[in-house]
Amino acid sequence: MKHKLVVALAGNPNAGKTTIFNNLTGTKQHVGNYPGVTVERKEGSCPYGDTEMKIVDLPGTYSLTAYSEDEVVARNFIIDEHPDVVVDVIDASNLERNLYLTVQLMELGVPLVLTFNMSDTARIRGFEFDLEKLSSFFRAPIVETVGNKGKGFDQLLSAVNAVAASPPSRNFGEKIIDYGKELEEELSIIQEMIEADQALVQKFDPRWLAVKLLENDKEVWGKVRSLPLEELVAKSTAHIRDILGELPETAIAGARYGYISGACQEAVRSTVEARHTMSDKIDAVVTNRVLGIPIFLGLMYSVFQLTFTIGDPFMGWIETFFGWLGGMVQGWWPEGSDSFLQSLLLDGIIGGVGGVVIFLPNILFLFLAIAILEDSGYMARIAFIMDRIMHKIGLHGKSFIPMLIGFGCSIPAIMATRTIEQRRDRLVTMMVTPLMSCGAKLPIYALIIPAFFPQAWYGRMLWIIYVIGIILAILSAKLLRSTLLKGEAIPFVMELPPYRLPTIKGVLLHTWERGRLYLKKAGTIILGVSILLWAMTTFPGLPDTLSSRYVQERQAVEMANLLDEEKALQLENIDNQESQAALRHSVAGRIGTAMEPLLKPMGFDWRIGTALIGAFAAKEVFVAQMGIVYSVGEADEESETLRDKLKKNYTPLVGFCIMLFCLISAPCMATIAVTKRESNSWGWALAQLGGLTTLAWVVTVLTFQIGRWLEIGMG
Amino acid sequence: MTVCQMLSSSMEDYLEAIYHIISEKGAARAKDISKRLKVGASSVTGALKALKKRGMVNYAPYDVITLTSRGEAAALDVIRCHEVLRDFMIKVLAVDEVDADAAACRMEHSITKKILERFIQFAEFVEVCPRGGAKWIAGFGYRCDHDSSLDNCESCISQCLKGVQMRKKQQEEKIMTPVSLKSLKKGQRAKVVKVRTTGSAAASKRIVEMGVTPGSLVEVERIAPLGDPIDVRIRGYHLSLRKDEIENIDVELI
Repeated sequence: MKHKLVVALAGNPNAGKTTIFNNLTGTKQHVGNYPGVTVERKEGSCPYGDTEMKIVDLPGTYSLTAYSEDEVVARNFIIDEHPDVVVDVIDASNLERNLYLTVQLMELGVPLVLTFNMSDTARIRGFEFDLEKLSSFFRAPIVETVGNKGKGFDQLLSAVNAVAASPPSRNFGEKIIDYGKELEEELSIIQEMIEADQALVQKFDPRWLAVKLLENDKEVWGKVRSLPLEELVAKSTAHIRDILGELPETAIAGARYGYISGACQEAVRSTVEARHTMSDKIDAVVTNRVLGIPIFLGLMYSVFQLTFTIGDPFMGWIETFFGWLGGMVQGWWPEGSDSFLQSLLLDGIIGGVGGVVIFLPNILFLFLAIAILEDSGYMARIAFIMDRIMHKIGLHGKSFIPMLIGFGCSIPAIMATRTIEQRRDRLVTMMVTPLMSCGAKLPIYALIIPAFFPQAWYGRMLWIIYVIGIILAILSAKLLRSTLLKGEAIPFVMELPPYRLPTIKGVLLHTWERGRLYLKKAGTIILGVSILLWAMTTFPGLPDTLSSRYVQERQAVEMANLLDEEKALQLENIDNQESQAALRHSVAGRIGTAMEPLLKPMGFDWRIGTALIGAFAAKEVFVAQMGIVYSVGEADEESETLRDKLKKNYTPLVGFCIMLFCLISAPCMATIAVTKRESNSWGWALAQLGGLTTLAWVVTVLTFQIGRWLEIGMG
Repeated sequence: MTVCQMLSSSMEDYLEAIYHIISEKGAARAKDISKRLKVGASSVTGALKALKKRGMVNYAPYDVITLTSRGEAAALDVIRCHEVLRDFMIKVLAVDEVDADAAACRMEHSITKKILERFIQFAEFVEVCPRGGAKWIAGFGYRCDHDSSLDNCESCISQCLKGVQMRKKQQEEKIMTPVSLKSLKKGQRAKVVKVRTTGSAAASKRIVEMGVTPGSLVEVERIAPLGDPIDVRIRGYHLSLRKDEIENIDVELI
């Protein structure tokens, strides 16, 4: 039986934590979610001698206050799951800020090992460390590593083992950091009251708890709930505000930095004046007042190109492959037979799996690009450049990328919200991203615009539709921000990390992980829904009396004395009529018919309703479904016969309303599935479905009614 | 360990000479060095070999000599030593320039970093302390040249007091009008004075946690193209901050 150890990796973002994690665990990784939150939980294992180390990669954080989901997760893991050792990964070239987290870990009293990562860069930048002194200041062994060159890992593992073997002991309620006279006075009063409460003393270290309460840590308050303590702390807070002129939480943070500065003054020597680095030179160009935005837009264009243009041939191959597979399966049955099993295999399963896999090239290429942008440090610059605009809608600079990608496809776009740290910002972005008109909606516009509008208006109509989407996205974001997802605006305090060359291994791992997650988590849902939709459009089949009528009609045509061409034409006609009747008879058709009262105010009839149900599988299916309900056989967006039928049956106003409804309404099921997976909640996925569909209905009804009243687009 | 202690004094002289020659001519040759230090060519070669061994210079026979980054740092240390001592002798001890230079040349090798810092601090102190100042130094020079006399003492002290009051008032005015970090322009440096309690508590705490604490130095590196978030350098790294979230951070321009 092997000895088992749980080792948690903590550290600032950009400190090279992921590189260390990848190096320690190799491909033996497992990615999951922490329950109830969108934060990812990464685990891996690493054998060392006769010990099996389970390495948990905590989210990168600057601090352990309950500021973001990431920090809550990291802290709760350390407090609740008691890892045997916490390894704090520190960017040695940016010591002071990185040590802030260290001080907090030290206050928590966990068995700690410090890793001075990127120590080679620190050397070049002229830092010399007295590791022995630093180690005594921060009460933990220090190991120097160079993550991307794989240096120092043996020492790290042996230090972890040593700490696990003899964890450092600490006196109960010991003062780790002196917060200065004023704060200490208040802290000792609070600590006294805590020590009098047996229930609290059993759960927390009284000194740590006193500091956290004075820091006004909401998470900790939630666990304490004591009225006398609340009153006492409120009094202390007011007292400190009076004498120091600042809030206790900022004073405490300041004192921690004081401790760090003191330690660094004694143990760190900097031989070279901080000069302008390579990174500054790059920034001078890419965040330049004039060049910044054009460069950004150019890069975004390349990402778009990479995702959708290079992805295209791969998508074509996948389509061909599934087409071939379908053909092969069809060959198992004699021609003309209509077995349900065949239909299930062909339309339900192969169609469904194809619908899942088809997005994979897009997702892989997009995440390849995003991984490069992120690992190189440019992502932070995008947020820096775009924040002004996004701030106006109540979002974060980083929300820009998902919304832009949304014009290509909502699925990778929603997955790209991953780069936004704040849950609220992330959810708002996820909710409104489908309003960015995606590529699959284009065939609908391509069918409808030429059917109803003069040629000169083609471009203009398309533009109007896209702009409506953008405006609605902005309005909805504002609305969500002030209703469901309101709350104090989260401060935009973001590090602009130095530019780094991304490692191939890191980028590929990241990309692969996304692709795998998509297939595994979203894929199963998409497949399920597509089989359901297949069933809805297939069952119940036509009653025998009806289908035998079509059989008879066919026979009549076959027998009749007609030219072959005419015969074929009439047969096709009967086929089309039969599929129209079958669709109308099916569950989807019945729902479409039953929904007519809801559809009427928008100017829609049951045909459009049925087609819309089909469009839930994928937006472009709307066109094919319209083809079936109008009995024109296989239709695509270039179908002139279908356009003629549309023109005959509907006014241009209705045409516009169809586009409007398709733009806004329920995004396709894959989007819903990905939202479920990314928000880690069915609630938000269904809210997206319901919310957007309701919005679509309201907007379309208003447009139709006002349009009719003003007599616009009637002829 | 200071650089001064790692090298012998003649080695430091060589480094210093090479640095000066490079900054004058772009590159140094053994001939220039022997001319400047008035030593023989063979001792120059020996010294260069020794320096190369310590990774201070890039040197190959008959090739030009350049300093490595380590060598440059060491040379700069020595030069700084020299300048501080020279300034001290001229400004505080009222010694003339040539003598000061010559003495600094000899003293620069034997002074530790700590004492050097004290020299700087003392010179600053003399300039700032109400009982010191440039006039006081001038008085010292006068007293050295003339016989000791107490004639002007009273009027000198009353003038001195007036000066103190003026300076105090000026300083108060400066403290009275700290500016918001928000109002800093590109390239300006400032010291954080206070994080007022008026702003959002969450934002303030976050900003302080990222290292913007009272007493820390900030420099505005750039402003975003659309004018809003600003990029400040703090504790050696870059931080992006929204203007309306740093309104309550008071700074003093440096």
